[in-house]
Amino acid sequence: MEYRLRLAKRMLFNKKGSLIGAVLAVTIGILVIHVNFVIFQGLFDAIVRDISNYRNGDILITDEADYIDKSDLALANWFERIPYVQGATPRLSSTAEINMTKNGKLIEETRIPVVGVDPDRDVRTSTVHETVAEGTYVINRNSVVLGSNVARDLGDAQVGDNLKLLITDRWGEDQVRNFRVAGIVQSPGGQGLDYSVVMHIDSLRDMMSREGESSSFMVKLNDPTKAYEVKEFFLRAFPNDDFLAETIEESAEEQLAGFRSGIAMINMIGYFGMMSSAFAIVTIQMMLVNGKTREIGVMRSIGAKRKDILIIFLFQGMIIGAIGAGVGTAAGLGYTFYAKETKMSFNNSLPLEVSYDWAKITQTALTSFTLAIIASLYPSYRATKLLPVEAMRTV
Amino acid sequence: MTKIFGEGPNQVKALDDVSFSVEKGEFVIVVGSSGSGKSTLLNMIGLLDRPTKGKVFIDGIDTTKLNDGKISAFRNKKLGFIFQFSNLLNDLTVLENVLLPRQIGGTNGSAKKDALELLQAVGLEDQINKRTNKISGGQAQRAAIARGLVNRPSIVLADEPTGNLDSVTSMKIVQLMKTMAKKLNQTFIVVTHDRKDFSDVDRIITIIDGRAFEGEQPTELEMVA
Repeated sequence: MEYRLRLAKRMLFNKKGSLIGAVLAVTIGILVIHVNFVIFQGLFDAIVRDISNYRNGDILITDEADYIDKSDLALANWFERIPYVQGATPRLSSTAEINMTKNGKLIEETRIPVVGVDPDRDVRTSTVHETVAEGTYVINRNSVVLGSNVARDLGDAQVGDNLKLLITDRWGEDQVRNFRVAGIVQSPGGQGLDYSVVMHIDSLRDMMSREGESSSFMVKLNDPTKAYEVKEFFLRAFPNDDFLAETIEESAEEQLAGFRSGIAMINMIGYFGMMSSAFAIVTIQMMLVNGKTREIGVMRSIGAKRKDILIIFLFQGMIIGAIGAGVGTAAGLGYTFYAKETKMSFNNSLPLEVSYDWAKITQTALTSFTLAIIASLYPSYRATKLLPVEAMRTV
Repeated sequence: MTKIFGEGPNQVKALDDVSFSVEKGEFVIVVGSSGSGKSTLLNMIGLLDRPTKGKVFIDGIDTTKLNDGKISAFRNKKLGFIFQFSNLLNDLTVLENVLLPRQIGGTNGSAKKDALELLQAVGLEDQINKRTNKISGGQAQRAAIARGLVNRPSIVLADEPTGNLDSVTSMKIVQLMKTMAKKLNQTFIVVTHDRKDFSDVDRIITIIDGRAFEGEQPTELEMVA
């Protein structure tokens, strides 16, 4: 083995306290980044997942100017012949005023979002039906499903209760109809339709006087990585329509922009943590250099050049960086594994979308390894500045 | 050469216009009381420090003109050091310590064979894989001698090599150095404050208050001059 590497290794391993301290500094720096990633990226991905599952799909089709007037059948069939597509379903949105008499008391709620769904297609495309906490999903045109928060605001509305829905149609006329509560939806983390009323799309179309029209078309893919490809294919297939097709990243951008910058800030804090680790390495290595003054003097006296001393202490930085990066990455992966296996959730409600981002993991390990080497530059330089005769005096 | 430490009123003249030459193969001891300037002289000859004034020639080379890198290479190839406290690296084994000057110089060819021969010559063949903090002071000093000789240096500089040893071990170490000097025809300059450890040497240089005198006891005239 190269004598400088051997010396670097021996000097370091014979000072176990310093070695453990330095490795721990790197490890903690990496672990902070991994924990941040699992929690905040996991939260971000969970929100993206839920927006995709409940509202926008992997591709959201809207009309640039107005409602989509192409028939559900035509669009859904067009999409569903593409092998990547799991399902496609129309959605129609509006707001409503709800009146309900509960225990002899009239409760009125206004400006409640209403979502019209095609029950058959919706269960293939979205997972809203999986969030039904009580009763069933939309079963017919006379029933509605209440979001848990709406149900609560209506004095704890129950399955089987009757309510009156008022919607203003396209001509400005109020349309009122009675519905029966078929179910109550409550999504983990509240990203679903917990604040909405879900009803049959045809009922909503009737009330809005928008026969055959939809606000949007939600497309879910078997392979979300093909979203851009499918989107472009769709836009090429309907060049004369005013369709706007957006991938989940595009359609949810407004909701995610703030979160994205928050993640960037958290990552920054993580990297500052890593920088602190680098300062810890500088301190520990300075202690190592000071503790090896005599050895440096001896080596210089038997012919070691400044460069040799520099290399020895840089090797130490590399060893600290390599072990720290290895242990830190292992600890980080352990935490990620734990978070994934235990289905860790944010605030005990929203299950995090935990993933192994190998590019990020490698980048973190390499960054901390590089930082450890950079951190060892100054102590190594100081070591080279020791004059042999001065160093020997420390005997 | 002259060596002055400190500045202004705190100046101390450690060596005062010292000049002498040593021939190849000579075994020279430098004696003097504690603080007389012996070790400073050795540091100058060993290129561990630079004189304030004057020059050090080794093998006809003016070493004061060499830069740091060349001085290091020069120390490695031409000089061997034996220190009072052996100064072995505790992180290495006895054999690794002896090999170190060869590895630093990049001349690994027969390094291990040479190192083992030297360790055998100093009687440490059964200690080669021991860490240096696991051997006795006398053994460490013998290992230090082997390390000082492994590069076959022109000059071996020893600073109080027996200063930290008992009398029996001291005798053995002195004998060993003399044997090696003869065997390898090397110049030895040994600094000691105890003349009686070294009988039968080629030359004695006495340092008194930073000044060098030939022989053991300078005459009054020499002192005045």
